[in-house]
Amino acid sequence: MSETMSEFSVWFKDTFKKCYCEQGNLIDEKQFAEIVQLVLDNEADEESRTIFEQKIRTCVKSNMSYEKEKSIKLEIKKKLCEHKAEMPTNLVSTIRKSVDL
Amino acid sequence: MSEETEQEQQARRQDYSEKEKTEIFDGEFMPHVDSMYNFAFRLAFDEDDAKDLVQDTYLKAFRFINSFERGTNAKAWLFRILKNSFINEYRKKSKQPNKVDYNEVEQYYNSDDVDESFTTDLRVETVQHMIGDEISGALNGIPVDFRTVIILSDLEGFTYEEMSKILDIPIGTVRSRLHRARNMMKEKLAGYAKEMGYNK
Repeated sequence: MSETMSEFSVWFKDTFKKCYCEQGNLIDEKQFAEIVQLVLDNEADEESRTIFEQKIRTCVKSNMSYEKEKSIKLEIKKKLCEHKAEMPTNLVSTIRKSVDL
Repeated sequence: MSEETEQEQQARRQDYSEKEKTEIFDGEFMPHVDSMYNFAFRLAFDEDDAKDLVQDTYLKAFRFINSFERGTNAKAWLFRILKNSFINEYRKKSKQPNKVDYNEVEQYYNSDDVDESFTTDLRVETVQHMIGDEISGALNGIPVDFRTVIILSDLEGFTYEEMSKILDIPIGTVRSRLHRARNMMKEKLAGYAKEMGYNK
């Protein structure tokens, strides 16, 4: 996991530089959305997460963007989970028979 | 990602007894059958194909059980087999009536220099108003490689690292593909919302 984290640490820092605000507007919303995704997927390391949390505490636009992404992600996940395909009842026995167990 | 040599694979091979094989199969593989079926169904869109795909995956898993290291991530191992079976066998004889040239779409979205100029104004309330059918419809409407990362991440909860292994792609590609997949899905949902008047 540490290898993964360092890979995204560099990416995070480079991307984060482009996400500054001017007159209350987030300059690069698309890039910020990518950062939000990394955080929501729990793939940002501790340092990146701290930087991110500081940002959403101090920037209204960033905070709104984060909350919106979080809610949409949760809502989509919830509805997809509720809408799962029903497994055929005989599948388990068919599998077991096919491998001769 | 470094390719494992044949010698390394050989060194990792186990030599399980029949009893151990049964224990692994029942204790580590079978608990994932529900998730496997869902994954297969969302890939193939067909109950019979999904069933065959899962059955075929479990057959392969049993045949190659000595390549599986007990106590490691069985779910990721099974998903990888299923994904490969789908690509190698089922995708070729896809029963999907939709004949859109997805390769073209994938090439466009996979290119690193793609200019993601679209911005989607998808509101949380819009998604809240939608039903599972509509959300599933949006997911089904995006190309399979993008659909796959959403299923693996958002439905099955795999980490980027696990997804990278299941899909045989670099972890950076997992991140960017997932981002593009979610944007594509939001585009679809925004389109539905407009058609159905959710945004009024």
